[in-house]
Amino acid sequence: MLKVRHSLAIVALLTASISCAQAADAITVVGWGGNWDKAYKEGVWDKYTEQTGIKIVQEEWGGELAKIRAQVQSGSITWDLVSPEAPSVEIGCAEGLFVPLTPEITGDPTKYHPGTIMECGVASDTWATILAYNADAIPGEGPKTWADYFDVEKFPGKRGMLSQAQYTLENAMMADGVAPADVYTELRKPGGVDRAFAKLDTIKPHVVWWSSSTQAMQNLASGEVVMTDQYNARITNDIVNEKKNYKIVWEAGFFYGTDMWSVVKGSPNEKAALDLLKWFSVPENQAGFSKLYAYGTGRVEAAEYVPAEWLKNLPTSPEHAKYGATYDTQFWVENKEALEARFKAWLAQ
Amino acid sequence: MSSDGARAGQRVRRQNLLMAAMVAPLVLFIVFIFLWPVARFLWLAVDNSDMTGNLSRTFAAIGEWRPADGPPPEPVLAALVEDLAEARANGRDGVLAQLVNQRLVGTRYLVIRTAKDASEGKFDMRPVSEVLLAAHPGWNDPALWSEIIRASGTVTDYYLLGSLDLQRSADGGIERVPADRAVFLDALLRTVWISIVVTVICAVLAIPLAQAIVSAPPSWSRLIFALVLFPLWTSLLVRTVIWIIVLQKNGPVNAALVFTGLVPEPLTLIYTRFSLYIAMVQVLLPLMVLSLVSVMRRVPTSYMKAALSLGAPWITAWRRVQLPLIMPGILAGAAIVFVFALGYYITPMLVGGPGDQMISSYIAFYTNTTLNWGLAAALSVQLLLILLLAALLFWTARALTRRRGALA
Repeated sequence: MLKVRHSLAIVALLTASISCAQAADAITVVGWGGNWDKAYKEGVWDKYTEQTGIKIVQEEWGGELAKIRAQVQSGSITWDLVSPEAPSVEIGCAEGLFVPLTPEITGDPTKYHPGTIMECGVASDTWATILAYNADAIPGEGPKTWADYFDVEKFPGKRGMLSQAQYTLENAMMADGVAPADVYTELRKPGGVDRAFAKLDTIKPHVVWWSSSTQAMQNLASGEVVMTDQYNARITNDIVNEKKNYKIVWEAGFFYGTDMWSVVKGSPNEKAALDLLKWFSVPENQAGFSKLYAYGTGRVEAAEYVPAEWLKNLPTSPEHAKYGATYDTQFWVENKEALEARFKAWLAQ
Repeated sequence: MSSDGARAGQRVRRQNLLMAAMVAPLVLFIVFIFLWPVARFLWLAVDNSDMTGNLSRTFAAIGEWRPADGPPPEPVLAALVEDLAEARANGRDGVLAQLVNQRLVGTRYLVIRTAKDASEGKFDMRPVSEVLLAAHPGWNDPALWSEIIRASGTVTDYYLLGSLDLQRSADGGIERVPADRAVFLDALLRTVWISIVVTVICAVLAIPLAQAIVSAPPSWSRLIFALVLFPLWTSLLVRTVIWIIVLQKNGPVNAALVFTGLVPEPLTLIYTRFSLYIAMVQVLLPLMVLSLVSVMRRVPTSYMKAALSLGAPWITAWRRVQLPLIMPGILAGAAIVFVFALGYYITPMLVGGPGDQMISSYIAFYTNTTLNWGLAAALSVQLLLILLLAALLFWTARALTRRRGALA
C-alpha cells in the first residue's frame, strides 16, 4: 500500500516537472474520465492539436470544486480548463475561481441552447437524466410516464434511483403530475418540497439506491431493478455496444443538465485555454464530441454536423427536446445543501 | 577524574545533538506537512472571519438595533451597501453570499445582486433604505437580520453546534434542529457502531486464521498468508463490484441458497448492512491478521502444551494462557482496524443501504460539493475526538493487560 503511494508520489512529481517543462505548448484539460474523455480526445482535442500543434494533456476528476479552490488558494494551479457542473460554475464564478468569458470567446450567446452558456462557462456537454427500463424484464407495454415508474402494482419490480435530492425531487414531482417546465415553480411554493418527499415516501421500499452509474447499470443488467433513472448516454452506450434490450422513455419527461468548460483563473496557460475555448465555440468543432457520445452541445447549429441517425440519441435533438426542461441552477445553488441534508435524513429513516 | 566526567558529559551532549539532528527532519516534516494543515483546516470549524471581515461596518452600525424594533434603520442599510460594494471589489461577495445562504436558505442571489448593484453605485442617493428596499425587498425580512446578528463575532459555534444537530434559538439558547434536518448525530453513532462491529468480526475471524498461519508448515503458511493479503492488492472498485455481482438477487449466492432449498426465494443481500460488513471485513481482516501473526510467532507453543499436560481443558488453557499472551496483538490489530473503519465512506456508498452511510461521506460532501468547509471541519473535529478517545481506550487496555501479565 505504502509502496504504491510512494511510487504514485514519484510519478506525480515527475509529471509535475514534465508539465512544467511543457507549460508553453500543452494545455491541461480536466474532464469526467472514461468514455467521456475518450470521446473528447478523439472527437475534439486531437483535431485541435492537429490544427495548431498545441498538445492537450487530459486529466480526470469528479467535479469537486474544492480541488480548484485549493489550487487557487495555494497559488499552485496545475489545471487550465476544467469541466464542472453548471451549479459549481455558478459558485466558483462568484468566488473568483474562473475567468469570465466574453462574447469574443464564446460567440453569440443567443446561438446557444438555454442554460448552456454562463458568465464563466460554455457547455462541454448537455446530458439528460431519463427514465429507462429493461424490456427483457418488462415485456409488452412498458412504462410511459414517471407516474408509471412510481406504480409498483402496474409494473412490479424494484426501481433504481440516484441517492441524492437533486434530480430525484424533480422526478417525484413529474410523477405527481407536474409538467417538467413547472417543476421548479411548484418546488419553490411553500410545501412544494414536502410534496416531492411525500411522493417519494410512496415508493421508498421499492427503491435500490445508486451512487455511481456503473452500479446502476449493473443493477439494470442483472435484473436487480427493472427500471432506473440514468444519464442517457450510459443507456445508449449499452444499447449500441452491448446490444442490450433497454428502452429510454423520453416522452415521460426529463431534465437536462450541463457540464461547462471553465478556465481556472490564474492558470499558467490561461490565455492558451481561452484560445482553445474560442476554437471550441465553433459549432463544427463542438459537434466532434456529440458524434461519439450521446450528449448534446451548447451551440444549436452543432446538431447540423451530427448524423441524423445518431442525433436521435441526443437529449437536445428536436424530437426529444420538447419533453425536457433544464435543471434550475439557481434553485440548486441556493437549496442544495439544505435539501441534500434533508434527503439524507429521509433516506436513513 | 573530573576531566573524564567532563568528557563523558561532552560525549552525551554530542550524542543528544546528533539524535536531535536525526529526528529533526521528521519532526519538521510532520509539523509542516501534517499537523499544521490539519490544524488550519480544523480552525475553519470556528472561524467566522469571512462573515465579520466582510460585514464589519454593518455589524458596527447594527449595535443595539434588533429586528423586533422595526425595519432596518438607515445607517445599517447604508453600511451594508458599503460593505457589499467593497466585498464585490475584493471578489469576496460570492463567499459572503454562500455564508448568508447557509444560515437562511434562499438568500444567495439577494446578496450577490445587491452587491453588484452596490458596486455599480445604484444606491448612492440618500436615503439608501428607500432605493435598496424597493429594489431588493428581501432585506426587509426580519429572519434574515436575526441570522446576520447571530453571525457576529470573530469565532462562531455555528458549525460545531450544527455538526451535533443543534442550533441557536431566537433567544440565543441552544436547541435541537427540526427532526427532518437532524442527520449528523445518527450518522456519527452509526459510524462508531459499524466500526466496532467490523473490529469485533475481524478479531473473531483473525484469531484462528493467524493461529493456522503460525502453526502450519512454512509452505502452507505462506499460501494462507498470500490469500489473506489478496484483498489488499485488489482495487477498491473491482472488489466492490465483485461483491455486488456475487450478492445480487440473481447472483451465485442467492442461486445456491434457492437451489438447495434453504430459502424459498432470493434474499436481499446486497445494499444492506450485511453486505457492508462483509465488504469492510474483507479489506480490514488482513490488518488484524498481520498484527496477530507477528505477536503469535513470539509465543512459544510449549506454554499451551504445558497447560494441557497439566490437565486443563483446551478451552481453559486457551483462555487463561494463550489469550493473555496474544492480547497485545489483538489490541494493536483492533486499534488499526477500528481507526481505518471510522474513515470509510466509498464502500458504504457502493455496497451499503440507504441507512448505512458513514460520517466521512458527509465530510466529503461538504468539502467537495458545497464548499462548506466550516461544517466539514466541525465534523472532522468529531471524528478526531472519537479517534483520540479510542486511542486512550486502547492505551489503557494495553496498560491493564501488561500489568495483569506482570502480576501473573
